[in-house]
Amino acid sequence: MMNLLQTVISRPSGALGLGLTLFHVLMALFAPWIAPYDPTMQNADAILLAPSFEHWMGTDTLGRDVFSRVLHGGRLAIAVTFSAAVIATLWGGFAGIFFGTVGGRVDEFSMRIVDAFLSMPWLLFLLLIISIGGAGPVTIIPTLGFFYGVAILRVVRGAAMQVAARDFVTAAKARGERLWPVIAREVFPNLSDILLVEGAMRWSWMLLAFSSLSFLGFGATPPTPDWGLMVAQERGLLSTAPWGVFWPCFALSSLIIGINLLADAIGKALGLDRATAIAV
Amino acid sequence: MKKSLLLSAALVMAGTAVSAETLRIPHELGYGGSESIDPISPQRFYEAIQNVYSRLVRQGEDGRPSPDLALSWEATPDAKEWTFKLREGVTFHNGNAFTAEDVAFSLMRTQSETIDSPTKGVMEIIDHVEVVDPMTAKVVLKQTHADFPLLVMDYRIKMLDAETCGNELDALCESGVGTGPFQLVDYDPLGTTTLKRFDNYYNGPAGTENMELIAIADQDARVAALQAGQIDFIYALSAEQTPLFANNPNFTVQSVPTGRWVGLVMNTQTAPFDDPRVRKAIRMTADRDALGKLVYGKDGFITSCDHPVWSGDQYRADIDCPRDIEGAKALLAEAGYADGLTVELFVSDISEGAVKMAEVLQNQAKDAGITIELIQAPSDGYWGDVWMKEAFFATGWSQRPADQILNEAYRSTAAWNETGWNSSEFDAQLDAARGELDFDARKAVYGEMQKTLWETGGSFIPVHLNTVRAFSSKLSGIQPVEDFSIRYEDVVKSGSGS
Repeated sequence: MMNLLQTVISRPSGALGLGLTLFHVLMALFAPWIAPYDPTMQNADAILLAPSFEHWMGTDTLGRDVFSRVLHGGRLAIAVTFSAAVIATLWGGFAGIFFGTVGGRVDEFSMRIVDAFLSMPWLLFLLLIISIGGAGPVTIIPTLGFFYGVAILRVVRGAAMQVAARDFVTAAKARGERLWPVIAREVFPNLSDILLVEGAMRWSWMLLAFSSLSFLGFGATPPTPDWGLMVAQERGLLSTAPWGVFWPCFALSSLIIGINLLADAIGKALGLDRATAIAV
Repeated sequence: MKKSLLLSAALVMAGTAVSAETLRIPHELGYGGSESIDPISPQRFYEAIQNVYSRLVRQGEDGRPSPDLALSWEATPDAKEWTFKLREGVTFHNGNAFTAEDVAFSLMRTQSETIDSPTKGVMEIIDHVEVVDPMTAKVVLKQTHADFPLLVMDYRIKMLDAETCGNELDALCESGVGTGPFQLVDYDPLGTTTLKRFDNYYNGPAGTENMELIAIADQDARVAALQAGQIDFIYALSAEQTPLFANNPNFTVQSVPTGRWVGLVMNTQTAPFDDPRVRKAIRMTADRDALGKLVYGKDGFITSCDHPVWSGDQYRADIDCPRDIEGAKALLAEAGYADGLTVELFVSDISEGAVKMAEVLQNQAKDAGITIELIQAPSDGYWGDVWMKEAFFATGWSQRPADQILNEAYRSTAAWNETGWNSSEFDAQLDAARGELDFDARKAVYGEMQKTLWETGGSFIPVHLNTVRAFSSKLSGIQPVEDFSIRYEDVVKSGSGS
């Protein structure tokens, strides 16, 4: 693990990615102690103030400090999407390895269902489920986890088929080993790197998805400081008070870029070329 | 060539400016595309009916009734019979003559049980309408109403062609045939509804050749459309949106004090809001002045104490409603919520500031131990899916005279009784006010009703709004009057220039 970390850091893009990701995670964790103001405190005498020493990133339409809200803005998004990424990686990875190893009709049948899910406009499907189950982490985490897990399943299943065709797996089967030991001892250890990279990538995409949901009014609810919700509430003021939109966008973009750079560096450190080895 | 020159000369001599331009107005798609062209439909397509139909009387510049299709009116001494003398020579878009028969038809259909119009509660005061002669209609009331012309000034009490509607009192009339300055060409509430100038309009042809009513559900999208020149006019700008147009020579901004409000509604029949102490506790937590400044800017509002009669109305009551957190806590404790109360509030971007108002009240109410969880609903279809369906939700009303708004929103039988207000005593006061011929005594009754609403009602009406609208500087002729009183027939759009 330390070797992997050293290899990732040795690449400038990896160091930048790790730095950005860690920075945002730490900011989210310690925001209550770092933020100069209560992020929900409204002030009728401080509406739409431009950035200043008092308010580094200005104030929003309700006179709230934008810097404090940006610091807090990643807490819910990171918590929800990281949880969903773990779920997606676990179930998608497990199912992908299983179907890739088993093969045959079970695999063929299952992949048609996977194809059907992949062909659906995922955002509409998400909105449908959330409108039934209600907005909130209890609905959003499993929903994101399920949908992004389908994509992970597809990728991992392809990689598992390649591993399952290799000699040491054939040898294990020839020794009479059953399916589960073959998956646990032979296939999974050769796919853990792909799972790690896929999980990281999907996490960054989920961040964008969660922010989109908040933007549309289906994710975070007021007065929760959330980047997507902040953009939605201030988007009409781009030409007069752009700081209300710029800073949450900047924070979200930098975190997504950071995670992607990190995933890329991890992949390269593990000998994976995301452009060719992992095809969705 | 000679003909066109003669026509131009005639128009100039008539003092009427007209152009071949198209006036493009947004409509909010509030009913998700199920809008009706029938003015008394619960899903009335307001922007269309405002221009296709005419009223008997309309609001004058002083806010009082002024002639539209009726030139004059008078009442018997007991104010139970009102006689309207109609304007001669008025025709509908299909060429039919407008007569007292159409007045009788248009007024009586508002009482239809089948249509269940929101105007029904107010117009049920009419007993019958007598056709005295083709140009005279006598409205006989079930009870005295000293301000009856105010009721028929309602923006939905339009005159329809009885013949085109098949004289059917119990069915919606979707013909779109009126006597208004524009006639219907293409009806598409989900897209663009097209109107064209009605050349035989009694007050002369409208200033623009065509009008397009373009469906845009989202206020930010409407702002962007006006900036991009895709529409010419926008209602209800927020305090933050106003600067986008205020210093731009391509646009004109008008700010008009009105009786319009955006508010929050607690259904008085649904727990926990069925307890008047809970309702008042929530209202007492509000710092109305701070709320108004945060949501509408310091010049965008006049504070109110949860009664719907605006400051410009002759019957407005003088009520004081300071923020009282300790009082709110005490009321909650009495009601059994000493440890705090959690409620869900449904909001949407249906009217300017609705979501922000909810957010500000949420922030202010937490000081009294009240947790308000905001649930954001889509703006398209809000009025059909959320409004009057949930226990606590956002609402928005345009300006109405005291008698009308109190009857329309608080009479127990009213279709738009959004708070579920069910008080026989209040209904009796409404009747008493209408029957009281002495102004001071009538004002006292209206005042008592407003105080009752502050003490026990289900509405949270923290402010009345100054409406701010912006329009292309190509437009002229838009008077600084409330939205329902804008006379689009007087609007002229120049073909060039900024």
